[in-house]
Parts: sequence; structure tokens; C-alpha cells
Amino acid sequence: MYWTDNRAWSPFAELRSLQREMNRLFDGYEGGTAMSRFPALNVWGNSENVIVTAELPGLAVEDLDINVVNNQLSIKGERKSDKPAENSVCHRSERETGKFVRTVRLPYAVENDKVTAVYENGVLTITLPRHEATKPKRIEIKAS
Amino acid sequence: MKEKQDKSLAKVNREKLEPACNERTYVPVTDIYEKDDAILVRCDMPGVTQDQVDIHLDNDELEITGKQAMNTPEGYDLLIGEYGTGVFRRKFSIPQLIDREKIRARLHNGVLDIELPKAEQAKPRKIAVTSVG
Repeated sequence: MYWTDNRAWSPFAELRSLQREMNRLFDGYEGGTAMSRFPALNVWGNSENVIVTAELPGLAVEDLDINVVNNQLSIKGERKSDKPAENSVCHRSERETGKFVRTVRLPYAVENDKVTAVYENGVLTITLPRHEATKPKRIEIKAS
Repeated sequence: MKEKQDKSLAKVNREKLEPACNERTYVPVTDIYEKDDAILVRCDMPGVTQDQVDIHLDNDELEITGKQAMNTPEGYDLLIGEYGTGVFRRKFSIPQLIDREKIRARLHNGVLDIELPKAEQAKPRKIAVTSVG
């Protein structure tokens, strides 16, 4: 997945959100290609940090594996079947189980050892601070 | 300019008063299991806290509502938006054989478990066969 740097404010923000809505409609946002885009991610960013969130209900923390290499984040995991009892009969099974992997390209390299991940109420939130070396620096102009 | 500001404020307030206007409703994916003594309903509701779940039983209709916490970080721009947040809502028809007083619900890691125990008369019973002669 690759995207252009659209972090700068623009008067077209509204239009972009409209575009996203439309894309979502045509992508078959609900029930398209199963598992291929699981979990769905939201990525937020500013010039200091990137925040990645994913909806992953009913997982154990030890079944999640998060890796960062430069500006690539990958989330690996497995959602195990959670049949309540051996003698129970299943009437409806909509909740999917299985292994998944998702890789995202981040807008800049991040500090690998300062990445934090929180799993709360079935939502995974990963905060990735920008690598010092990639931060923009103001260049002083010296008059000769 | 002043008037414009007031108008924009009025809009924000109205959105707060009528949350349903700009909130999407999602149908939570659900598993339903049946045990000898109970029916179990298991819904995925990521991002919903315990105090935001509302389970309402009205005659035969069980309505589950869960409001997701808005986790929009301040000062960040959305770069990739693959899912939206809003309200989970789903209705189920509950057969009469459920013991309404004993319904229990539990929310853990974004998964809502509802246990609907069967009434005594609805539980399966082994019928002994007696042979005559």
C-alpha cells in the first residue's frame, strides 16, 4: 500500500473525505474479498507520530505479533475459534477465525524501540514515533 | 464573521444533540450457539466499553446496542481510513422458552457474550422407556 503525502492542510479535505466514502462504497466495503484486508486499519499521522488502529475483537495479546522495519509495519496474528462448550451446537457463525497478516508502509522511518502498542476493548492502537534522522530541520541561512 | 462563527457553533451543538444524525450504524457479526441449558449469542463489538452497551428486551425482541468510543486523535490527519466508527445495533427474536430473569451478558476484549438460559420446561429431558411384560 502506498499513498502520497497528504498531511498538509488543504481546502480539499472535505472533498477527500467524500472521495473516501465513495471509494468505500465501490470497494464493497462490507463483505468484499474476505480476509484479504483483515484487519481494516486506520492510520493517523502528523509530523511527529503515526498512530495505527485496528479492530481486532476477541484476541489474546500473545496471539499478536507486531513488527517494524524502517517504515514498514506488519501486524500478524491469529484469531482462534472460541466455541463456548464442546457439547454446543452452532446455529450461526459469522465471526471469522484464522491467521492474518497486514503490512503498511508508513510515511517515514520510525524509532523501532519506541513503538508502543495497546490492546483495549478489542481495538489495537500502535503509536510509532518518527525517527529523529527523518525529522525536518530548519536550515539557517548565513549571510556572508 | 461573528455571525458565521455563531452558525458554526450552532451546528456543533446540534450534532451533539442528535448523535444519530452523523453516526453510522453497523451490524455486529454474531455467532449463535445452543447448549442443553442455554443459548449463547456472541457479538463482535470492538471499541465498545462496558458502559456503552445497552441490551434491551422487549417481549420477543432482544435489541443490542453498543456505542463505539470515538478514537480520533487530536492534531492528527487521517492518512488511511479503512473502517469507520459508530454504533453497533442488532435485533434478535427470542423464543418464549427463554428464562428472561436469568439473562446474563459479559463484555470482554470487544466481544459481547449474552447467555440466555432456557426455562425449566424447555430443557431437554431423557425419557425412560419402560418395557412391559
